[in-house]
Amino acid sequence: MTCEEVRNNLPLFLYGELSFDAEDQLESHLDECELCRSDLARERTLHAAFDHAELTVTSDALRASRQEFQSRLSASAKGHDSFWGNLREMFTVKFHMPSVAQPIGALALVAMGFFGARFVPAGALGGFVSAGVADPIASRVRYVEPEASGRIQIVVEETRQRTLTGNMGDERIQRLLLTAAKDPADPGLRVESMDLLKSRPEMADVRSALLYALRHDANAGVRLKALEGLKGSAGDPEVRQTLSQVLLADKNPGVRTQVIDLLIQQKEQPQMVGVLQELMRKEDNGYVRMRCQKALHDMKASVESF
Amino acid sequence: MAQTAVRMDESALIRAAQAGDQSAFEQLVRQYDQSVLRLALNLLRSPEDANDVYQEAFLRVFRNLHNFRFDCSFHTWLYRIVTNLCLDALRKRRVRKEETTVVETSDGVLDRMDTVEESRAHGNPQRQLMSNELKGRIRQVLEGLTPRERMVFELRHYQGMRLRAIGETLGTSEEAAKNCLFRATQKMRASLGDFV
Ligand SMILES: [Zn+2]
Repeated sequence: MTCEEVRNNLPLFLYGELSFDAEDQLESHLDECELCRSDLARERTLHAAFDHAELTVTSDALRASRQEFQSRLSASAKGHDSFWGNLREMFTVKFHMPSVAQPIGALALVAMGFFGARFVPAGALGGFVSAGVADPIASRVRYVEPEASGRIQIVVEETRQRTLTGNMGDERIQRLLLTAAKDPADPGLRVESMDLLKSRPEMADVRSALLYALRHDANAGVRLKALEGLKGSAGDPEVRQTLSQVLLADKNPGVRTQVIDLLIQQKEQPQMVGVLQELMRKEDNGYVRMRCQKALHDMKASVESF
Repeated sequence: MAQTAVRMDESALIRAAQAGDQSAFEQLVRQYDQSVLRLALNLLRSPEDANDVYQEAFLRVFRNLHNFRFDCSFHTWLYRIVTNLCLDALRKRRVRKEETTVVETSDGVLDRMDTVEESRAHGNPQRQLMSNELKGRIRQVLEGLTPRERMVFELRHYQGMRLRAIGETLGTSEEAAKNCLFRATQKMRASLGDFV
């Protein structure tokens, strides 16, 4: 490879887009040629400068786009061109159910749950939202019963979409977040709610929601979020007890590793040694074993119990 | 880590969304929408235009998802939509020779886009001045690339896509994408050579 060829190929080299052979030739040329090495250094600087010129999306901009999309989606679903629209077709055409056709309309189905509105128990709203006339209605078919006469009975569940705003200090927001943190249908929602709630670990309700999720949530992502929230309260006896139990019972190695980290934050914990030794007896994940071993080492305890 | 743990298998998500599960559709959108917005913002250099692309792209996804047949990755399918929208916008802009968002002032290049980016620069003021000037220059040079060169550069450098995937997305060969990237970097090196 000539110096000129090398120079031309430097960008592709930095992107890792050269063929194996070309990369090999280029590298051996670089070993021999100081001029090309300095070209490479310049190319790297330029590369880094590009990084610097990138515009980043602010979380406000992202949020605004998501909100706008939500409302556009509802508007677009009024027409027949969407696939949610097919659902309305299905109900209005095949079933001839004029009385429920309206609430099962495409708009209603889309409005349900998209980027915000979720099913919440009626009590959780506590009357703190004003009833808007134009609130879209979301419906779910709960029950379908064909009758011998050819008529069909359908039970439809309706919920209304509301947009609620407030900050974390708002007790009503907290209550809704606590409910959402247990929404069995949506792990993503649980994670987001947990993420917000964890800023208030001092609240008893939040603390018990975090502990509950850590013990019982089926989703490891949610459990990890709950652990993050408990970081500051690892000294609390109830929290420590839960952590010890989770350490020995949780199926996810990531969760177990995080639990070890939390437990060893606290100095002077003689009973910890027993828990960690017990873990060493049953742990089969290499990485977790290593972390556990190191923790025991740091506590100057033996790895095995006798 | 938590992020990956909560991710449903993507094809399961797509199937659920195709079957009418709105929360699956929402999750699907949320896996990609930040990158989409970032790509559009960097290509179009205008938050408003970027948002327009975002809206139109995901509405198209919404309307056409039932046609998605898994014969390419969802990422490729989505990015075909997004890159087409961005290329259209870039071409229209070229024709209209719209004013750019970069404004020359006596202090060098001032950019109203600075309001939408996080400040990453620190260190001594001299260096920062230099880096701001360089930043402005890079953006000017980017404006001078053809829409396709621009696109390939953005996808490779900022979105970290492989040239093969870029070719597939833009409906061209890996080789053609490579040539595009080559031309883009040549032009940029030529214009920025005195800065580095
Ligand atoms: Zn050389």
